[in-house]
Amino acid sequence: MLRLPFAFGLIALITASSAAAEIARIKQSSGSAFVQRNTQQLKPVPGLQLLAGDRLVTGKDGRMSLSFIDNTRFAVGPNSRVSVSEFQYDRTRQRGSFVTQVDRGSLAVVSGRIAKSDRDAMKVRTPKTLLGVRGTKFIIEVAE
Amino acid sequence: MNWKYLSAAALLLGGCATSSLVLLPDDDGRQGSLAVLEANGRPAEGVIAQGNSRTKLGDARPASRPLGDKGLSAQEAALLTGLPPPAKSFLLYFDQGTVTPTPESQAVLGELRAEIASRSGPHVEVTGHTDTVGSGADNDRLSQQRAEEVLSWLASQGFDRSLMSATGRGERELREPTVDNVSSAANRRVEVIVR
Repeated sequence: MLRLPFAFGLIALITASSAAAEIARIKQSSGSAFVQRNTQQLKPVPGLQLLAGDRLVTGKDGRMSLSFIDNTRFAVGPNSRVSVSEFQYDRTRQRGSFVTQVDRGSLAVVSGRIAKSDRDAMKVRTPKTLLGVRGTKFIIEVAE
Repeated sequence: MNWKYLSAAALLLGGCATSSLVLLPDDDGRQGSLAVLEANGRPAEGVIAQGNSRTKLGDARPASRPLGDKGLSAQEAALLTGLPPPAKSFLLYFDQGTVTPTPESQAVLGELRAEIASRSGPHVEVTGHTDTVGSGADNDRLSQQRAEEVLSWLASQGFDRSLMSATGRGERELREPTVDNVSSAANRRVEVIVR
């Protein structure tokens, strides 16, 4: 019984260290905008390092732009809620998996190396669809 | 509950969130595509491949319309303008066994510095490489030193070290493929990617 807390602690530690890898950086932001990380709200200042699981939230005058470590680029429009629910990238092999969820608002995407690495390695989820990205530039709009 | 009510409920739900997709050509002129893997919670096998088109999302077989004369909305155009600039890559070359860039590469350092300075929230990835002269372990060390030399120079120019990372790949990624123990100016390099 005494071992249990230790084991749980170890799992938490491993999860924290693997989740703490930088996946992207904020390039610019304006208006009301924040990055939601668990219970924290972070100000999207240029250079802010993003982690897998982060949610990008903008108000009616808010915007954000960011670049990922696989060269994918995002621009988030006003009134948006966009989450990077999954991001894994092996720099050396230039392969990985990338899932973005657009709950509302608008998102412009120029895909990078993950989308090129394997068929549907990059996916975008909207409230009604799941899309596989096959190397391209596009805009998703989700009206409320 | 019968099917009539169910489909009426689905219509109502559909009205809450209409999603659409605008597909554009890549910056280099090529046309990519998107696959519709699921629509309304069911597996689908549609493909959206028409460039400069608009598609309503939610149908298993999506129908795309050309953007036409109206083109993009002001909102959409503003989103594209807001995209960060593409990543830019720089190559610096080194003399045999040294961590000193060649005279030609010294000039590239200036361009590199200007590129980083021009970007908002920059991220700089420095990767060192060697040719196949010497042992693998020595080349791992040398490639790391080359990368760190470039990173230190950038730091001396006023860029914060937290913006940058340096790794060495030894002789694993040859630009010019050779057998072991071949001197190659093309392989003795550091690649810097600026985002």
